[in-house]
Amino acid sequence: MAEIGKDKDAGFLKEVVRLAGPEVRTCIQCGTCSASCPTASLMDKKPRQIIKMVLECRKDEALSAKSPWFCTSCQACVVRCPRGINPRAVMSAVREICEHEGRVPKDLSYDEIFQRQVRENGRVSELQISGEYALANPKSTVQAMELGLEMVPRRKISLERVKVKRPEEIERIFEELGKA
Amino acid sequence: MTEQGTEQDTKEQDQSRGMRLAYYPGCVSKSTGKEMDLSTRAVCSALDIALEELEDWNCCGATHVANDLISVGLAARNMAQTDLPIMTPCAICYSNLRSAARCMDEPTVRAKVNAALTKKYSGAQVKHVLDVVIDALSKDPDKVAVPLTGLKVAPYYGCLMTRPRGGIDSPEYPTILEKLIRYLKADPVNFRLKTFCCGGPIFTTEQQAAEDVAYQILSEAKKAGAEVIVTLCPLCHLMLDAKQKSLETKRGETFGIPVLYVTQLVGIALGLGPDELGLNMNSVSPVPIIDKVYESMT
Ligand code: SF4
Ligand code: SF4
Repeated sequence: MAEIGKDKDAGFLKEVVRLAGPEVRTCIQCGTCSASCPTASLMDKKPRQIIKMVLECRKDEALSAKSPWFCTSCQACVVRCPRGINPRAVMSAVREICEHEGRVPKDLSYDEIFQRQVRENGRVSELQISGEYALANPKSTVQAMELGLEMVPRRKISLERVKVKRPEEIERIFEELGKA
Repeated sequence: MTEQGTEQDTKEQDQSRGMRLAYYPGCVSKSTGKEMDLSTRAVCSALDIALEELEDWNCCGATHVANDLISVGLAARNMAQTDLPIMTPCAICYSNLRSAARCMDEPTVRAKVNAALTKKYSGAQVKHVLDVVIDALSKDPDKVAVPLTGLKVAPYYGCLMTRPRGGIDSPEYPTILEKLIRYLKADPVNFRLKTFCCGGPIFTTEQQAAEDVAYQILSEAKKAGAEVIVTLCPLCHLMLDAKQKSLETKRGETFGIPVLYVTQLVGIALGLGPDELGLNMNSVSPVPIIDKVYESMT
């Protein structure tokens, strides 16, 4: 567990602001985001609390929370925040920082696999993603097979490897815009 | 402050006859969302809307690209491929394209993103198939050959169809799908959770949480007396249709509610056949509702 006060990291707030926008600084802690969130009841720290941690530069606590991984990106918080903040972007900024620092709670993050596929091929194949994810996180195999049983007989699984014609352009998008 | 259903209705008056659109199918149209793609093509063809598949389209990143600027770049590359309005049947693709178009109005963002693109982005008009279909039917209501009289339909928007703000309808209380359901002579039920997220984006990683959310939606649809749920997104469809049986087993409750893509429901009303609409690809069989519809005609 993080000791409060010990992990203050001013760079953390800056990084979140860079990724999620400067409005974050204007949060009034009203809790509208938490109240609108479909998965808040299952989160250890609610969206409002994550934002508080960010504002107080409590990096270690924020990166230890499980809730950013429960965010579905549904944007209910985005359309309701009275300060025009994008709490979804804060959640994904925290996830991205976790990824950079190798602090992903699962063996391999789904987002990472998904993004790697987009980066390499320009498109994704659900079969390949769930396969790769299941290899890294064996617990998810049961669910993947369950779904396979629905999809295979209905011919809704594609074995085709898809790739765009100009993958180098996709690579540029990731490379150049990722660091911009 | 009141939210009106017509609040953000900014769509242009297209000529439905002879209309041409760029079509962005999205990655799932090749796999778990095949029936979405099939029924979209069939319905558009029946409504005289010509679709040109977007040249060399790429994945929009769905909800899995944490870096917003990369997301914008991916969407902008797609939008730069055509001068026609772009239509997609997927609410996630739709939301991403729309968000990106908005970000690209910012000159600094546009400059940065265009620097990475081969074909440069210079503006785009983005539509969801719902937009296109409702327009066409409002101009030509006689196209409804098989009225879905008395069918109780749960209008399920899910989250991203109306988010971010400024799209097809209000993100708080949209009503456009109800309008479409009435065009088809069916009855929209009062569906409290119509804009609640389906949990789909986290179903692989946080199965329990995602299933909790999907279960609430199915329970609500059942309570509202829905005979069918209509969806606008392949992930909503997967959560409510493909996972319905396993949710029934796990939670000890029976739903048995067919879940149709909006284009499948519209297709039935246009008199299109089950093969054209991929109806045999749905997990929960829609045959009972089709029987009901045709019985009520005789
Ligand atoms: S809704 Fe906005 S202002 Fe209110 S707590 Fe959440 S982020 Fe802060
Ligand atoms: S976008 Fe994420 S944090 Fe915001 S309401 Fe949806 S699930 Fe909750």
